[in-house]
Amino acid sequence: MLRQPLCRALALSSPARAVPLASRSYSNPVPAEPEKVEVFINDKPVYVAPGTTVLQAAAQVGVEIPRFCYHERLAVAGNCRMCLVEVERSPKPVAACAMPVMKGMRVKTDSDLTRKAREGVMEFLLVNHPLDCPICDQGGECDLQDQSMAFGSDRSRFTDVHFSGKRAVEDKDIGPLIKTIMTRCIHCTRCIRFASEVAGVDDFGTTGRGTDMQVGTYVEKMLLSELSGNVIDLCPVGALTSKPYSFAARPWETRRIDSVDVLDPLGSNIVVTTRTNEVLRILPRTNEEINEEWLSDKSRFACDGLKRQRLVTPMMTDSRGNLMPVDWEDAIVAAARALRDCPPNKLLAVAGDMADAESLVALKDLVNRLGSENTCTEQYFPLDGAGIDLRSSYLCNTKIANVEDADFVLLIGTNVRFEAPLLNARIRKAYVHKDTDVALIGPKVDLTYDYMHVGDSASVVKISPRGPEGSALLAYTQELACKLQDKLQDKEWKVLNVLQRTASQVAALDLGYQPGVGKALQDGPKVVYLLGADSGVVSRDQLPKDAFVIYQGHHGDAGAAMADVVLPGAAYTEKRATFVNAEGRAQQTLVAVAPPGMAREDWKIIRALSEVIGERLPYDNLDEVRDRLSEISPALVAYGDVQENNYFAQARALAQSLQKPVSGKLDVQLKHLEDFFMTDTISRASPTMAKCIQAVLKQKDSPY
Amino acid sequence: MAGALARVIQGTKSHLGIVGPLANINNVPKRFQNTEAPPAKSQYGPLSDCDRIFTNLYGRHDWRLSGALKRGDWYKTKEILNMGSDWIIGELKTSGLRGRGGAGFPTGMKWSFMNKPSDGRPKYLVVNADEGEPGTCKDREIMRHDPHKLVEGCLIAGRAIGARAAYIYIRGEFYNEASNLQVAIAEAYQAGLLGKNACSSGYDFDVFVHRGAGAYICGEETALIESIEGKQGKPRLKPPFPADIGLFGCPTTVNNVETIACSPTIVRRGGSWFASFGRTRNSGTKLFNISGHVNTPCTVEEEMSIPLKYLIERHAGGVIGGWENLLAIIPGGSSTPLMPKHVCETAIMDFDGLVACQSSLGTAAIIVMDKSTDIVKAIARLIMFYKHESCGQCTPCREGVSWMNKIMYRFVEGNASVKEIDMLWEISKQIEGHTICALGDGAAWPVQGLIRHFRPELERRMQAYACAYGPSRAERLY
Amino acid sequence: MSIVKILGLDKVASFFNIIRQNGGIRGSLYKLYRQDELKDGTLVGEDKFGNKYFENPRYFYGRNRWVEYSDNYNMNYDGSQVPAEWFGWLHYKSDLPPHKDPARPNYPWMAEFTENLSGTTGQYTPYTTTRPKVEPWVPERKSTV
Repeated sequence: MLRQPLCRALALSSPARAVPLASRSYSNPVPAEPEKVEVFINDKPVYVAPGTTVLQAAAQVGVEIPRFCYHERLAVAGNCRMCLVEVERSPKPVAACAMPVMKGMRVKTDSDLTRKAREGVMEFLLVNHPLDCPICDQGGECDLQDQSMAFGSDRSRFTDVHFSGKRAVEDKDIGPLIKTIMTRCIHCTRCIRFASEVAGVDDFGTTGRGTDMQVGTYVEKMLLSELSGNVIDLCPVGALTSKPYSFAARPWETRRIDSVDVLDPLGSNIVVTTRTNEVLRILPRTNEEINEEWLSDKSRFACDGLKRQRLVTPMMTDSRGNLMPVDWEDAIVAAARALRDCPPNKLLAVAGDMADAESLVALKDLVNRLGSENTCTEQYFPLDGAGIDLRSSYLCNTKIANVEDADFVLLIGTNVRFEAPLLNARIRKAYVHKDTDVALIGPKVDLTYDYMHVGDSASVVKISPRGPEGSALLAYTQELACKLQDKLQDKEWKVLNVLQRTASQVAALDLGYQPGVGKALQDGPKVVYLLGADSGVVSRDQLPKDAFVIYQGHHGDAGAAMADVVLPGAAYTEKRATFVNAEGRAQQTLVAVAPPGMAREDWKIIRALSEVIGERLPYDNLDEVRDRLSEISPALVAYGDVQENNYFAQARALAQSLQKPVSGKLDVQLKHLEDFFMTDTISRASPTMAKCIQAVLKQKDSPY
Repeated sequence: MAGALARVIQGTKSHLGIVGPLANINNVPKRFQNTEAPPAKSQYGPLSDCDRIFTNLYGRHDWRLSGALKRGDWYKTKEILNMGSDWIIGELKTSGLRGRGGAGFPTGMKWSFMNKPSDGRPKYLVVNADEGEPGTCKDREIMRHDPHKLVEGCLIAGRAIGARAAYIYIRGEFYNEASNLQVAIAEAYQAGLLGKNACSSGYDFDVFVHRGAGAYICGEETALIESIEGKQGKPRLKPPFPADIGLFGCPTTVNNVETIACSPTIVRRGGSWFASFGRTRNSGTKLFNISGHVNTPCTVEEEMSIPLKYLIERHAGGVIGGWENLLAIIPGGSSTPLMPKHVCETAIMDFDGLVACQSSLGTAAIIVMDKSTDIVKAIARLIMFYKHESCGQCTPCREGVSWMNKIMYRFVEGNASVKEIDMLWEISKQIEGHTICALGDGAAWPVQGLIRHFRPELERRMQAYACAYGPSRAERLY
Repeated sequence: MSIVKILGLDKVASFFNIIRQNGGIRGSLYKLYRQDELKDGTLVGEDKFGNKYFENPRYFYGRNRWVEYSDNYNMNYDGSQVPAEWFGWLHYKSDLPPHKDPARPNYPWMAEFTENLSGTTGQYTPYTTTRPKVEPWVPERKSTV
């Protein structure tokens, strides 16, 4: 439906296509604002741009037209016919979602004709819709339910004297995330359009025709997409519902807390739905700058991992080397003694991938007060050249939303589809709607759209006669980006983007953590403080035999298993904490549920520890911690904002001193869909994610 | 299918009665608005043999190129092509030819929509040979016995709209017709009449045959386009119209086989010749298919505006058992409302004449039903056809037609409440005009025609059922 | 009114009688220590736990039937150790002690009498049947000892 031959055909004739890639203008000159058209919605005049649909024009004056198939972010299907409105001088009611406005159009959204049309369509929709609202998971948030209250008849005219019943459709099995009750389907085709347009998998479609039309995968198969959960939100009825959440709760019994996702670096905005101190489900929250209204499957469904494998009590190793539950006092004292007695150069603090800025700054302050500078993150980032001194060297400078405006995207050594699924959805959107060209240097992976594969050798980045080993690769990428930038007309456009892989990395680098633990580990640290570091870069084998490991975090995983003292912290749904996403946007999570058992907020644990050590940290409440954060960088507490960074030229100058040869092959960790589901402690603890991997592997064996 | 489109014109017209002077919503020129225009002649039909366009309608002569050349096809085609597109369209406009697929949109005007400045996209001509309307069999005869008329028509129409190629979408069941057509196209290519430098006019033109797979809905122009593109045959939303974005995203004109096939003769003999037949606005000759309870069912080319009774008596040998035995006639294929006998007496077979009878010319497929017919069952069977052929895309058609089907079959036995007749009328009104394509309308009209003219019959059945079995359960439920 | 009664010598006689019945001075002191009172009476019966039931109509109503708990209980005796069948006799619901009452039902399905176990390790503690909301991590044991 999209990227159809028309777009291609139009593009072929456009001059931009003919000129070589390098000299293409990377920003379109702003087209002259087209003259606005005056239309009348219920005799209220409104000026809209030509090409606006009647439905959008009505929305501008606050008239909501009922709809099922129409969705702002999907192509127009116009097949539910719920949005029929009367347009003066048109004999038939027109579908408001598909009809572009015309000059002087007079739309009546509450005339008799309109009302009759709506009532008719509603009656038809209900003819074959089962009356199982009491056992339907969509009950309470169902478009059909709501609109039938507004537009439906109060009695049935359906005289089914032969008891032939309503249409019954066999349910489909499309994986462990989405439960289908296809009898409830009203054939709006939103799911089909989402799958083919946004998710980029053409598995969904309709078969049969007339009353026998069915929505489904043509053969029984899993919906192999990392964005599949969004069809649950899109479905206006209860045909597609969440399998893990099925029969769990009604929307009116739950509390909804706005928060931020930390399972990928984008910091998608979410709503955490809780009841009786338990996270029931996670839904996306609209944020045009980041996630629009989508959410990746891991962020959405891994929330059951928050209830398993939790650290609920402090633990210490006993004389036999077994971790035993102890009181906070004992654990803190043991940890404090170890930290105090450690020589400063033998102390190492490692921050994991879900550490919040507050605990990061508390830990760094504590370690610094003890005289050590060894604070690291698990993820590596080259330090040579400009390193992490210039913020623009490690951020997605273009910003996520602006990816849609790009004319050309070059991906180096990343599988953006699984590292940041919603960024990939943006790139796909640009690819579909704007004919953006995408090229990839790295292993060949499925990005859901066509791209030019430049090769997986790192030396491809070297384009100049004079030009990865990490730093050199970055240097050459910076060089490349700056060269491209010089050719741009739009000097504000930022070419270089670095996509961090974890939610904590940007905040940690902002705070001055050293990326990577390699060097610090070689020094043979005596005391290692792991702040949620579970990805396995620090292991017992690399440490001296007598090293004392303190683990603070919320899940029992690699880190806790090797620890001598375990301090139970809070997960992201249990604390008010700051996270900085890959583009440098600070956002905060809110407390949705209380930390389980004796677990406490992370910065408070470190604060308590500091007091026992005798190096009291100078903050007693969250506001004071945040004051400390803003002392270090105001960007860390400017919630929702992104600061402009523009030190590319300086970074390039610093990097030019590096003349290392570039060799080796670029590789990515997450190559296939089954790699995507379990990447961190929460998703590793989630049974749903485990089921997903099973299902994907099973699907790979199937002939379809 | 195409017959279902007939109401497009009709609907606008009735509406124009109120706001007529202000109307610019449909593009019908002013002269077509005036129903009061005095006809040039008062007697229509019979058509003399020299004025017939389809001279091999019954396959008595050779259908291949040599035979076609003898009948005057491909005569001076090069000169016609060289007259240019404006001249061809001008002739078509003079002729007053209206689309023969059922909607009756003026062909000359339709072609002139394509004469916009090119934006680099190629243009296409699509010929709708998916003749699926029950009762209709005119295109079949053309393609079987006179395929060269169609092929030449494609070339001329293609020249008029500046198309690069023509796609003939032929119904899958028409196997022999597709074979004949393919042979005719091959002959034309071999004779240099098609292909590069067609007819040595310097104009490149290709014709492709695309066979359908048996869906009635693929006779709807946008569904047909989708089908050619290889997708499911489901109608697109309009706007954008195919003239803007059609086949493969390019400007496209979709025409019926008969429209295309008669255009070479029109340009050859002149638009005014064609316009001399029939009443104004309804000019020309037309293929009529007469089937059902007549003595000699046939397809015949006749002058437009011929009285229905005269047409049946002259060409079909009259109704079985005499005119008095007539019950009702469906005048334009299954999707048009039926007309009872007293209406048929005076009905004039043209677009306006049948609209005046609350029916429609459609594809001019006349289905005659005598008094032995179970009229309710006949209409119920038609609704079953539409239920089966509904594409399922939009709600009113998908859900409404199958609902109507259930009710209709209860009406056949009379197991229904009298109140349900009004309900059925309302349901059909809820479908009509609320769908993406015209199939919903086409399914609603037969029911409306039945209720309009045979309501006493429906009520009689219900009473008979109530006498025999007691009151229907529907009486309590509704 | 005999002279014996006037002088209160019958009280003395019953005093000695009580001491004799309760097993001499040592036995009487032990019972006094254990039960805080000494009584004489006829042994009406003994239940299967070893509790002995006495009656002496000389005492006023309400105190004329009593139980001496089995020595097995030591000092840990309490009212709930009286089995249900003796409870009725003890509380004057019936004058027939259970072993003399032919109408008393005795079905095989009747449960064994248990004393009230509250406050002991055998006490009933209510427990939740729902699954815990959070499953804690159980560290792998490094040594099996």
